[in-house]
Amino acid sequence: MTFDLAFMLSTLPAFGRAVLTTFKVGLLAIGLSLLVALMANVLLSFKRRALDMLVRAYVELARNTPLLIQLFFIYFALPSVGVQVSGFTSAIVAMTFLGGAYLTEVLRAGIEAVPVQQLEAGRAIGLSGGQLLRYVILPQAGLLSLPAVFANVIFLLKETTVVSAVAVPELLYTTKNYIALYYKTYEMLAVLTGLCLVLFLPLSLVLGLLERRLQRGHLGF
Amino acid sequence: MSFKTALLFPLVAACLLAGCDKPEAPKSAAAPAATPSAASYLDTIKARDKLVVGVFSDKPPFGFVDEKGQYVGFDTDLAKRFAKDLLGDEHKIEFVVVEPASRIPFLQSDKVDLILANMTVTPERREVVDFTNPNLRVAVQALVPQGSAVQHLDDLKGKTIIVTTGTTADLWLTQNHPDWPLLKFEKNSESLQALANHRGDAYAQDNLVLFSWAKQNPGYRLLPETLGDEAPIAPAVKKGNSDLRDWVNQELARLGQEKYLLKLYDQYVRDQLAPDTDPNAVIVEGGEWKPGGGA
Repeated sequence: MTFDLAFMLSTLPAFGRAVLTTFKVGLLAIGLSLLVALMANVLLSFKRRALDMLVRAYVELARNTPLLIQLFFIYFALPSVGVQVSGFTSAIVAMTFLGGAYLTEVLRAGIEAVPVQQLEAGRAIGLSGGQLLRYVILPQAGLLSLPAVFANVIFLLKETTVVSAVAVPELLYTTKNYIALYYKTYEMLAVLTGLCLVLFLPLSLVLGLLERRLQRGHLGF
Repeated sequence: MSFKTALLFPLVAACLLAGCDKPEAPKSAAAPAATPSAASYLDTIKARDKLVVGVFSDKPPFGFVDEKGQYVGFDTDLAKRFAKDLLGDEHKIEFVVVEPASRIPFLQSDKVDLILANMTVTPERREVVDFTNPNLRVAVQALVPQGSAVQHLDDLKGKTIIVTTGTTADLWLTQNHPDWPLLKFEKNSESLQALANHRGDAYAQDNLVLFSWAKQNPGYRLLPETLGDEAPIAPAVKKGNSDLRDWVNQELARLGQEKYLLKLYDQYVRDQLAPDTDPNAVIVEGGEWKPGGGA
């Protein structure tokens, strides 16, 4: 088996664009997922049965259907009822749908893990519901759920490869494109794997360090 | 865990990956052998008692799945006939569903013995796989909605053209019109759905597939120009597998004498095309390629 290094180098500009697209899709989806998760938890905080069920239904629907199918549904099926969005938008919507559900659960677990004494103490010094949420619950819940949030961030970034299925020119799409055109299977899969490691491994290490630093400062672990 | 210990992980992972190679070796005996050894590759297939063939599942009438869930079609049935003549039973065959772009990687990585998935012979592909003699002839054309303003191929300049990744249409457009925007999907069925959803202005694909689809889905028309020349379609084996290639060539010649491809044509293809189509404009009986054919 011979590796065509010159060919691998010649594809790097295209892979550079693919990396940008991957991060664009990934970061947008992660940001929106966090927003969705926050909103879902605000709904949960009202402790109304109907709202709880609504959030529950969303989480279960999103978590129990594969991302690829959600993506195909948005991209290929919705146009038949008149909703037509681009591949890029489909990708963001599908990934936010999925990521939002996972992060909703992560945040919920973090909020539930805040000791009840903290709430009682907050009430005892006369904090209102909103103040309680802002100054007592969220800062602690955020830190408690940090490891799981970061794990989901990495997970969502890696899941961006799925969106190649609706012609979004990210890493996997670019790889498959070159394999299809020039049959350099080994070279292109090597570039893809290498890029993923180079991109995600340092990120994962940095997030790990960040997590330890923040938690040590605030929670004294 | 310190930062330094964290750095050890990739190293450990790499060692694990490298180590994985060996334990897997015994298993691969069941899969196609990595390199045809001194013994004939045909013996390898006979020892396994099963022919492993890559086919399409979504490209009627050449390779598709019927109502009973069976793999059938012009190419697929030809593969069954190969299994019958090589191993004595048309059921001694394992179908592996491939997509256009995965056909060559499947051969290169020994996942299949043979690809019988409507693969057009091109100079680039000839460098990486061995084609047998052809069984079909094809040209690439573009399909547009009936009401489209596009009348000729050149009108597509600057418009979005849908292609299926790794098809001849994809190759030709990338080489000849690198500046025309392409929208690429893995499967033929996804590309057709994308055209139906107006995600592109045209779909470029082998005309035989487009004829068949357009007949069942009115409201589309073909542009008159072909993208590139008419070309042969042939079964393919891994580069250097001359045992199997030679056997397929002899088999195609034998089947030519009994006009077997014409039978398959009548069964699968005839009613998909215009009534006055000459079968010899589509099939290549006996593996004997004559440019121009009956067209």
